[in-house]
Amino acid sequence: MTFYLTVSLAIAVSSIAVLGTFMLTGMNGLFSLGQAAFMGLGAYVSAICVVNYGLPLPVAILISIGITIVLAAFVGLATLKIRQDFFALVTFGFGQAVIGLLTQMVNVTGGAMGFSNIPEYTTPALAFISLAVAIVFVWGLRKSHFGRDSLAIRSNELAAKVAGINVFKHKMIIFIISAVFAAYAGALMAFHTQYVEPAMYGWITSVTWIIIVFFGGRDSLTGTVIGALVLLAMPEVLRFTAAWSTLIYCVIILLIINLRPRGLFGTWELTLRSLTRLFKPKKAVEEVK
Amino acid sequence: MENSVVIEIKNLTKIFGGLCAVSDFSGNLCENQIIGIIGPNGAGKTTIMNMVSGIIQPTSGSVVFKGQDISRLEPEKINHQGIARTFQNIRLFQDMTVLQTVMTAYSWRAPYNVLETLLSLPRVGKFEKEIREKSMCWIEKVGLTEQANLTAQSLPYGMQRRVEIARALASEPCVLLLDEPGAGLNQSEVCDLVDLIQGLHEELSLAIMLIDHRMDVIMRLCKWIYVQDFGKGIAQGTPEQIQKDPVVIKAYLGEEITNA
Amino acid sequence: MQSAMIFQQVINGLSLGAVYALIAVGFAMIFNVLKFSNFAHGGVLGISAYAGFIAATTFKLPLVGVILVGILAGAITAVIVEFVAFRWIRLQKGQLIYFFVTSVTMLMLLEQILIISFGASFESFPYTLLKVKAIKLSNLTISVTSLLTLVVTIIAFGILIYVLKKTKVGIAIRAASNDLVATSLMGINVDFVVISAFVISGMLGGLSGVLYGISASLSPQIGEIVVKGFIASVLGGLGSLTGVAIAAVALGLVEVFLISTIGSGLSPVVIFVIMIVFLLVRPQGFAGVSFADKA
Repeated sequence: MTFYLTVSLAIAVSSIAVLGTFMLTGMNGLFSLGQAAFMGLGAYVSAICVVNYGLPLPVAILISIGITIVLAAFVGLATLKIRQDFFALVTFGFGQAVIGLLTQMVNVTGGAMGFSNIPEYTTPALAFISLAVAIVFVWGLRKSHFGRDSLAIRSNELAAKVAGINVFKHKMIIFIISAVFAAYAGALMAFHTQYVEPAMYGWITSVTWIIIVFFGGRDSLTGTVIGALVLLAMPEVLRFTAAWSTLIYCVIILLIINLRPRGLFGTWELTLRSLTRLFKPKKAVEEVK
Repeated sequence: MENSVVIEIKNLTKIFGGLCAVSDFSGNLCENQIIGIIGPNGAGKTTIMNMVSGIIQPTSGSVVFKGQDISRLEPEKINHQGIARTFQNIRLFQDMTVLQTVMTAYSWRAPYNVLETLLSLPRVGKFEKEIREKSMCWIEKVGLTEQANLTAQSLPYGMQRRVEIARALASEPCVLLLDEPGAGLNQSEVCDLVDLIQGLHEELSLAIMLIDHRMDVIMRLCKWIYVQDFGKGIAQGTPEQIQKDPVVIKAYLGEEITNA
Repeated sequence: MQSAMIFQQVINGLSLGAVYALIAVGFAMIFNVLKFSNFAHGGVLGISAYAGFIAATTFKLPLVGVILVGILAGAITAVIVEFVAFRWIRLQKGQLIYFFVTSVTMLMLLEQILIISFGASFESFPYTLLKVKAIKLSNLTISVTSLLTLVVTIIAFGILIYVLKKTKVGIAIRAASNDLVATSLMGINVDFVVISAFVISGMLGGLSGVLYGISASLSPQIGEIVVKGFIASVLGGLGSLTGVAIAAVALGLVEVFLISTIGSGLSPVVIFVIMIVFLLVRPQGFAGVSFADKA
């Protein structure tokens, strides 16, 4: 695989995880610092299934998604009724707990030394098609009442409740779906990089995804996807170290929030209508003449 | 003349820490009736409404709706039973258009689950179309047809109030709870609002519980009024009775004027 | 022998708890005034710890100088953080979530600066900083750094209590914690109160960073112990600085004993569980006030 293909693949897979954060933090305003832990879960469980137990890839992925759903349900039950500040703290704690466990279970996971020799099962086709499907899923979700309810809950939870929305159930569903997105991305990534270690799934990764979402604009799916492609490609193209690229992400998002809080794309979405509108002004001028 | 009782409130009490916000309130709301709860600020009126709509749990006492005790139900469940409300401090959804705001009241009726929305099945589009039409009807009823696609928060205050009412109506309730609907409106806006409420009451046969401290609103609309002061009920009766009740006058205007 | 070990653990626990208390109070102060969780406090901590480190190694300052440098660095960093991350949002009356994003971003930013400047490994403060390493009393060995931390923290809190109760600044901060809008209506300059709160919070953070660096360890990730301060705030009940401080000390003791029993790998898991239980059972903490929306 050429360098560019490898990088594009990694970016595509990471974007799937970012979409999870888009739904959770962007659409619903749930500030979770532990999303990356679900990616780690997906990565480790599927890798262990294939390497240690010789299971085929689809089965391994299904198992990791299943476990993620169960764990996300538990965590959601425990944390989604808590106020926002504490939710951030608790999800942070959850992330640390998962990393702690992964590091501790040396016999199964290889501990801090990481888990290697994972076969390279993720093809470019699998990665890109997965991303496309993920985008379609999120698009469908936003167009439906789920999208509206998310915005309602984010804006004024009390009013949403008296309008009949079951806020807790909604949050649980979103939390689980986002976790599944992250876990699936984790699995794909594991079978691409062929090596995973607990440190990859810490809060810094979770926050990086949040930064990407707010960079593009939490109200724009197009913005988040394009933002993900741009921001994730940047360190590769400009050859930055991890520390420097993280630092630059921080500076970028501070600029965005201070100067253009709605994100680069605001609420703009790439649809047939918005594309024609881009070309319309010229038409109107001609008609006036 | 006897309408059946829709909401029966018995000995409703709410104590916050050391403060007794509502003490032993009892009252009834009958089908097709508009009742009012009035009283000076801090009298506990909104707290009563919060307990009826499920936002707060009562310390003791009960709220019975159509024979079912709803005192401990979650707000959304109470809404599904048929009670909708508006808020004193308007609670709209930022950045949503009027139409989208009203449509949220229909979300719970969606006949499909999340997996189907992920796949954008045709059923989703069909439901969306239906509730969009129904929501437009409610928006027309409150007279905001032209503003349907504007951001609710960009509208003048009086219109925002009507958006809230449209959202409440979209729950297709049989009981409407209105918390100070006239607050912040000027005289002519209040008149329009009162006409609107009266019209909706007649057209939809809604039972309405109304909180306000403006006499003109209450007197015109309500058949029966409960008067609260410092959490306690101090009087109840028809508008004419309340207007003449010395206890009520004293609570609102103070001793000196009664004696004058 | 057992009781000697336990006594030493208690001292260690109290010392750790003292650092956590400094962090927690600095954290809670900003929460009370601005009503959001300032994760960036960890960044303030980290920068101050390294500022003290540079003071000790490059400039060879004595202990007192090192601590003062830490405190000063904390105050300066905190004010810079306020300007860069929070001021604009506050003035635009932006939504709460933007504060979350910028505060976590600042924590990350400051940590990356430390990683780039100093590398990712651990450092230690020079041996010569403290003349005496340990005090021996009969068969007890008490580490001087633990004692130092305890003593300095007590002094710091003493000063803080005086400032909050007797000075104009302190009273303004306490008023603002109750009701920021009412305070501004009383003619008190909100900007002044906010900056003062950040300065004081920064000083506490800086002190805690230096003390932790001296008594425990120093690495670019040092800022992450702000989470412990946050946890203590939750357990103690936001809104009550005393409750927060006491909870922090308790947390330090619990953590030391957890580490000595189940190891440092699993203690985050246990603390996480304790936190969840607390948040579900008593979200307002020991001494706190519950924050409810007015409908």
